[in-house]
Amino acid sequence: MIMEIDHLKVSLGGAPILHDVNLSLGEGEIYGLLGPNGAGKSTTIAAAIGLLKRDGGQVRIMGKDPQTEAKPIHAKLGVLPEQNGFYDWMTAEDYLGFFAALYDLHPREGDLQDRLARFGLEPRPGQRIGTFSRGMRQRLGLARALIADPALLILDEPTNGLDPRGRREIHDILIDLSENHGVGVLLCTHLLDDVERLCKRIGVIVEGRTVAEGTIADLVRSNDRLVRFRLHVNGDVSKSEVPPTVTVVARDGEWCSVALSPEIDPQTAWRELLFMGWPITEIRHEGGGIEDLYLGLTEGRAA
Amino acid sequence: MILRTLILAGALFLTSASAWAAPLSVDLTAAPSNPVSPQMGDNLSFHTVIRNDGSIPVDGLIAWISLVQIDKGKEQPVDLEDWSAHKAVTAASLAPGKTLETDWPMRLIQSGTYRVVVSAVSRSGDNLTASPFADFTVRQKPVVESQRVLPVAIGIPFLLGGMMLWRRRKA
Amino acid sequence: MTATGLIARKEAGDLLLSLRGLGWLLTMAVVLSVFGLLLVGNTELSLLDNAQVVYDMGGIVTALGALLAVVVGTDAVAGERERGTLVSLLLTPASRNSILLGKLGGQAIAWAVMYAIALPYFWAVGSTGQNLVDGAVSVALLGTPVVLGFGFLAMGLGARLDSARSSLLPGLIVLLLSASPLLLGPSLRQSAIGRAFDAVNPFSGALNAYDAVIIDSQSIAAQVPHFAVTFVWLALTLWFAARGFSRVSR
Repeated sequence: MIMEIDHLKVSLGGAPILHDVNLSLGEGEIYGLLGPNGAGKSTTIAAAIGLLKRDGGQVRIMGKDPQTEAKPIHAKLGVLPEQNGFYDWMTAEDYLGFFAALYDLHPREGDLQDRLARFGLEPRPGQRIGTFSRGMRQRLGLARALIADPALLILDEPTNGLDPRGRREIHDILIDLSENHGVGVLLCTHLLDDVERLCKRIGVIVEGRTVAEGTIADLVRSNDRLVRFRLHVNGDVSKSEVPPTVTVVARDGEWCSVALSPEIDPQTAWRELLFMGWPITEIRHEGGGIEDLYLGLTEGRAA
Repeated sequence: MILRTLILAGALFLTSASAWAAPLSVDLTAAPSNPVSPQMGDNLSFHTVIRNDGSIPVDGLIAWISLVQIDKGKEQPVDLEDWSAHKAVTAASLAPGKTLETDWPMRLIQSGTYRVVVSAVSRSGDNLTASPFADFTVRQKPVVESQRVLPVAIGIPFLLGGMMLWRRRKA
Repeated sequence: MTATGLIARKEAGDLLLSLRGLGWLLTMAVVLSVFGLLLVGNTELSLLDNAQVVYDMGGIVTALGALLAVVVGTDAVAGERERGTLVSLLLTPASRNSILLGKLGGQAIAWAVMYAIALPYFWAVGSTGQNLVDGAVSVALLGTPVVLGFGFLAMGLGARLDSARSSLLPGLIVLLLSASPLLLGPSLRQSAIGRAFDAVNPFSGALNAYDAVIIDSQSIAAQVPHFAVTFVWLALTLWFAARGFSRVSR
């Protein structure tokens, strides 16, 4: 495991914030950390990376305790905080160069530009960060977090405020990092779509406690919740066959509500339906699955 | 008999009183390095030699410098606060025949004609000993020259403002 | 370059290359210009003794330097935290001490820039007298610990308090109290409380030394008690900043 948190307890100003937080993250894994506002996600991250002292429990990152061995951990750690600021008077290249030097890296001529290009950042020569769009700033923040080719990447709301294309680009980068470079990613987000697309395992924190941890499929199954969709079908399907993985819940004209077992990949289900003669023209996610799970676990708390 | 005794006592009293009176002399000279025609801002220095011309030590000696402006219509004592930090000198005791030499530096603050004098008294003495006067005239000099201030006072903000515009344009 | 040097250079860039930093410097220069123009434009001020002019300029430069230091010091910690840039620095392999030293270096650079801007003003108002060099050297030697101390105080406050605004306010209040010798008349300073305050106030220490050197022509080497007050202030504020910065968590 690249990151292990066991029974973490943290107090701030004498007030207990975290009571019992647990999570474990392996190499090349993207782990979703979920919880309502004020649940303790940011405090968990701060304690995990050694910025806050813990009252109890264990934290190991790359086998080391961040409280006593912060320097070697920080050398192989990339963090994109939720409120990620920049030195607006710098150019993107200056900014990356500054952080590269702090990591004692000496990039060759053109290396920094290549990195920027990899993140879809090709600013005008001399263009200052102060003129960047939100999406460009977010990509630059990610490029900075990855400047030292970290083994562990911690991202707090990385796709906040990005347009669909920007989100997709970030997703692709994270998938590439985890699958092709073995980078462990701790993804802290409110966007359940991101979690569903990127993570196999999640942890849910509520009021400073981990209330659920495991693979999405297991958690959804254990909560006995199905994933629901509405399909728009162009034609009569009343006589068409239905695959065993799909349950038709209701029909309303050309719209049809279906439920899938959580372990079923929706793409597989749609292929089977098309094969059986369902002329599907539109698919809408209706709830259930991880969304129902999350709402159930955090019921009554601010989202 | 009584009359003779009284006369003797009177003579003794007078003799001892004259011994108590500090037999001091104060000599004041301008330093050779002083400019001939000083102007505001220049430094002057005066040198005093205080001598005990008597036969017994002078105890508790204190000497101080005084400055007065003597321009017609502007006659006034000058507060030495801004002119000099060396305003007085003391000596616990000055033996007969011995001298106390002191330099009195001062910076010239205002234009005008001035007279400087050094006075000395002792604890047991009953009169003041003053030095001869030393007069000098200070020429007027502009304290701040507008041809120096204006370019700086206008130029530096313009320079910084220009840098800001340059940065804004590059941003 | 070491992490300390990199961060000090970055801090200098914050001052000299950002519009915000250049705006602060421009404000300081405008205040000095107003004083210079008053000297040539106001009949009473133009009759001031040259030594008095240099002394006043020394006091104003020190006060403005301290004000700039409070602003820069607040921005270096509380401002960076509010803008979300501090945590990225804290998560690099650079040690806390290196980061703090870099930021302290940034303070020193800011004061050096402010001093460099002030030198032409010193020359403009003081070059007709013989106090120019004494004045500039006094401000360099005694103004530096006073000014840097205010910067360190602001950094310590910024590390402890939640926002830049809440840390700027106490910093400015301490500065205003300390700089009160510039505002109070001689009679108030001669009272028992005034004298006691003067004895421990670093600002008074610097001003009294300027007075002794520039106006009373004493040697700078004779200002040991005033040096002591200003350097004790510098050491205390450095300790305050270091303690606060070691606890910064975001």
